[in-house]
Amino acid sequence: MADCLRVAMDIPPDSAFACPAAGLARTLAERSGFGQRESYRFQLTVEEFCLCLMELLPAGECLRLAMDAKPSRLRAAFSFKAANLSLAGLNLTAQAQACVEGEPGRDLGLLLAGKAADRFHLEQQGGEAFRLVAEVDRAYPELTPVAMPEEARPPYRLDRSADPARLCQAAALALGAYPARQCPGSFKRPEKFVALVAEGEMAGIVALDAAERTVGLLVWAPCSEQALYFSGPYVFAPQAERAAIARLLTDGFLAAVARDNHVIVLSFRATPDLPAGSFEPLGSLLAGREGDGRDEPVVFRHLREDTGAAVWCAPSLQAFLRQAYEELAMPRDILPVEAPAGRTRRESLLGASLDRHRDLAELRPFLDGQDLAANLTAHVAAIRDKGISRILYYMDLSRPWEAALADDLLRAGFVPRLVLPHGGQSDMVVWQHEPAA
Amino acid sequence: MSQLLDRVPDYVRRFERYVPSRPDAVLMRQYGAPFLHRLNNNENALGPPQLAREAIAAFQPERAAVYPSGDAYDLRQALAARFGKSPDQFLVGNGSCEVIGSVIRAFCAAGEAIVTADKTFAVYEWVAGFSGVEARLVPLAGAALDPAAMLAAVTDKTKIVFVCNPNNPTGSWWNRATLEAFLTALNGRALVVLDEAYREYLDDPGFPDGLGVMDRHDNVLVFRTFSKMYGLAGFRVGYLCGSLEAVDIVRRTHIAYSVNSLGQFAATAALADDAGHIAATRAMVREAGEFLRGVFDKLGLEYVSGAGNFIMVRTPVSDTLLYRRLMQKGVMVRTMTGFRFPNWIRVSLVREPAMVAFADALKKVLDRS
Ligand SMILES: Cc1ncc(COP(=O)(O)O)c(C=O)c1O
Repeated sequence: MADCLRVAMDIPPDSAFACPAAGLARTLAERSGFGQRESYRFQLTVEEFCLCLMELLPAGECLRLAMDAKPSRLRAAFSFKAANLSLAGLNLTAQAQACVEGEPGRDLGLLLAGKAADRFHLEQQGGEAFRLVAEVDRAYPELTPVAMPEEARPPYRLDRSADPARLCQAAALALGAYPARQCPGSFKRPEKFVALVAEGEMAGIVALDAAERTVGLLVWAPCSEQALYFSGPYVFAPQAERAAIARLLTDGFLAAVARDNHVIVLSFRATPDLPAGSFEPLGSLLAGREGDGRDEPVVFRHLREDTGAAVWCAPSLQAFLRQAYEELAMPRDILPVEAPAGRTRRESLLGASLDRHRDLAELRPFLDGQDLAANLTAHVAAIRDKGISRILYYMDLSRPWEAALADDLLRAGFVPRLVLPHGGQSDMVVWQHEPAA
Repeated sequence: MSQLLDRVPDYVRRFERYVPSRPDAVLMRQYGAPFLHRLNNNENALGPPQLAREAIAAFQPERAAVYPSGDAYDLRQALAARFGKSPDQFLVGNGSCEVIGSVIRAFCAAGEAIVTADKTFAVYEWVAGFSGVEARLVPLAGAALDPAAMLAAVTDKTKIVFVCNPNNPTGSWWNRATLEAFLTALNGRALVVLDEAYREYLDDPGFPDGLGVMDRHDNVLVFRTFSKMYGLAGFRVGYLCGSLEAVDIVRRTHIAYSVNSLGQFAATAALADDAGHIAATRAMVREAGEFLRGVFDKLGLEYVSGAGNFIMVRTPVSDTLLYRRLMQKGVMVRTMTGFRFPNWIRVSLVREPAMVAFADALKKVLDRS
């Protein structure tokens, strides 16, 4: 595992401490070899979040800040308490609002912090406790295309600990041979992909032929405590050889993860090379503008027997869920939740990750609020404005408040497409926005 | 919670707890099944031998208040008499699973290694994993453990080689010559555990008797269990047999009093009366095997069937999907993805009604998909 520097502290709610905290952020970034731009963005993230979150603390409470650096990214995690937390300034759509309404400093600070980071997420930890995690990525060069080998000669073998150069080459080959939407985002910057593998954030196996040519790749990464996302198999070989290589990669992948700590593997990015019968269909997502017009299959398989689970479900989602579980033959206790009545928080917060290259936006609920349906609609408009056509929303059925938002999603034009078993804390419903025909 | 986890050794943090199957009533409710045939754990459908049944029935409830023999004294006497060894060459555990733990604790320090197969009984690999001991996994050659590759995997760090003979789940086994050649080439560089959990299902003269082998090779330990042939899985009684020196070492890391009184009585009685029981069980397993091979042949399914009361069959759909669909029909099998055989299931060989129920359910489920 790559070296990892950490700094942690409890910060009293006094704005005088924000600047020194940002100074530590800079030192952490510099000591970990990050460039000036990333270091500056990280400082800004830390300073602005410190200032904003301090204001929210109840009397006598501190802000806990833990920062760490891995080769691929800087991370700041803020643990804090807040009554009736509202962080609307972090919404993707916040810029317009802040200007129009001329909100005071806090929203502007949040806006800055949110934009300076590459991503953030907010966890509700029960009661008034929250954890906000923001990350700034190292900038890596984009890939140089690599030509596909013209032949592939058996016997093939797997390399489970391929060296960085081989992984880079394999990622570049995959992006050359498959559409971007079927590849992890990091393939576009193969050095980043290699760093993520070295850090243990991703794993991969490479297939080699008799002449040690790279003829295939399959990668995976955890998507929850219980589930792994895999991508591939990517095969770089003429037609006649593809099935054998794909089978080798798939079996090698399953053997590698069969006895580790995940119960299920899932994929949105299974390629057409995936051997038939090894995985189960979960459903499909609508193709985006880049697709070939066909729905994109989502597949999974268990690594062990499913022991059942309980999930929360709003009345409007019940028929969908029942049918999904029946088709999957998966035992679930479906527990009813009602739509939220009299929401106390005015403004909701959505997490949004956008990837124009892959034509994909992913939304997650961080905070419920009275404006949720409108906020969803505003997000959809802003995302479509950026030219992204595939918009997904993830609902974790382990949290009653999340499950209760079904009506807002329906109102905002989202349609439940499929259930990812164990995709979150519990099962996850994937919704997709369907533009009215 | 996450802070607690920070204080745990890395190899424990990474380790996934084992989730056993739920009780029958829960499973039947979850899957809406009217009954449940458990074909997942290779239990003996005939139950324990007659004398063991009588010993269980004769158990006086007052005895429950009294600790059992802390080292299974009477049972070890019976084993010694039966196999012509010293009682001190036996160590009885709460199932042979407990003994696996005791042996790894006794011989391996964190950072050292064991060698075993990639597609074999998982507990060796698991116990090593959560003890900070590296498990070097050697691919099978076909359906069998590969002696040359396992030898090649042994290094200075290797303390134990686990050989599951016959192998669960493939049923393959090393014959006398293979085992002898392996032990000679290994030349005492590591301890060898022969896990003979299914040995009583074999009556092939070519099968090496571990208890005899260890007289020639004092680095051999043999594991056996009362859970399989003897139908006492619910009582958890297994044992190891080895040289006096080896067993004395393992005893140091083994928890005394871990085997309950009733289990000790039943196992002792079972040993005294096993010939008829073993013959009847073998006949049942043979019949069930013939029946299922016929079913699989008709369905055009590939299977692997060797020694032991189980058979593995390759499934045209994901094994875990098949598991769930079979559960809905009241039949529980073992999925083999965890044994690194994706899209295979393992089925215990038991009495006719359950075999027929399985065959019917399988046909229906495969018709559907
Ligand atoms: C090869 C093998 N060894 C050991 C065991 C465990 O037996 P016990 O019940 O004695 O712990 C089993 C049980 O499935 C087994 O298959």
